[in-house]
Amino acid sequence: MTKNIPLILAAICLGAFHSESALSAPESIDLSKFPAAEVDNVVVPVPSEVFSVLDKLGTPNWRAELRSSLGKNSGNRAQVALLLGTVIAEGFIAVEAEDSEKVKDIGKEVLVLAEAINVRKAVIARSKSITEKAEAKNWRSVRTEFDGALQDVRAAMEELGDDELAQLVSIGGWLRGTQVLTSIVSKNYSADGAELLYQPQLLDYFTKRLDGLKNTRLGKDELVVKIRKTLAGIRPLIGKDDGAKIPAENVDRINKMTSEVIAAITSKEA
Amino acid sequence: MLKKTLSVLLPALLLATAYAYVNDALSFAHEAANPYVKKGFSVREDAWGGDLGVKDQQAVTAQLFKGNEYWFCLGTEVKNAVVTLHIYDSQGKLAETESWQKGRLAGALVVPQKTGTYYAIITVDKSPQERTGWAVVYAYK
Repeated sequence: MTKNIPLILAAICLGAFHSESALSAPESIDLSKFPAAEVDNVVVPVPSEVFSVLDKLGTPNWRAELRSSLGKNSGNRAQVALLLGTVIAEGFIAVEAEDSEKVKDIGKEVLVLAEAINVRKAVIARSKSITEKAEAKNWRSVRTEFDGALQDVRAAMEELGDDELAQLVSIGGWLRGTQVLTSIVSKNYSADGAELLYQPQLLDYFTKRLDGLKNTRLGKDELVVKIRKTLAGIRPLIGKDDGAKIPAENVDRINKMTSEVIAAITSKEA
Repeated sequence: MLKKTLSVLLPALLLATAYAYVNDALSFAHEAANPYVKKGFSVREDAWGGDLGVKDQQAVTAQLFKGNEYWFCLGTEVKNAVVTLHIYDSQGKLAETESWQKGRLAGALVVPQKTGTYYAIITVDKSPQERTGWAVVYAYK
């Protein structure tokens, strides 16, 4: 009888799991039945989602990826929004490098750039928290704060009616994250590392947003035009199907494209 | 004059109400995600949200990376509602390795075999209300 106790207990546990388990899900569904507007609602991944995989694949030299200068504010609102995105992405790189001084500098720069687009108030608490948590070397919490800063800035901009400018913050962050991803994979190519570039829905989402800008001045902005061209250039290089092998030369080309556009965003001539 | 004021105020009020219940649903989604924070997952600050009628479904799109693990967590503010969440790959095949459902909360674990686009399908199975607010957050490690 005692022999059966573990079996009985297992059966009870299994029963309990089933009673709380998800209502049965079909093994496959027809995605085309869902309206396009619904599936278009994309949450943009933060750079650390990609960086965590790179950490598992090897030992990237994160310090070498950090920029010495965070870029210059030209006063052009589109440039400032894009620059802010790249600076927040830099925060995620500094966290990977566990460079608390750099993280603190970035936290302060986020505040300066947020002020330039009238959303300083939204990130004061985040900036303070980034400094405190970087001093304590609580890297996981610093990551959360940078993610939060990104969302707070975007939400504050949307509240001000600057939805389109808010998109540029996300795009700036994505471009800088992709530049670093391709830089690391180029230095030590692996198919798994290159596969991280397969982000078709995200590229289409950004392209759609930029193509549909209602603010014509923003749509004609030199940087926005350049980014549109960059995204169109990247799209065919990331493969057509899930899991398709992305060759090393494509990784290099994407790195060149993103490096050029990041240089344009961070220079004062923008 | 009153009609004009109402036409301005009413949409604003409806929008505020919609935001309010999505915000409440969000706190339940975070409650569903809490156990995974203790297991080393980082919960994203960004989220999806909306409202659905009973038996209605909605798909949300996520870019997932092979090498990470993801927990998707769904919550609703409606007491006695039953909501479910399941994750499918870009071919429409069930991609989750584990899932659970407890009344107004649900969760699904995905360990992507490929980097690419995945879809979280949200369903309101039962609800005492006509429209049920929902929110989904995800955590990764």
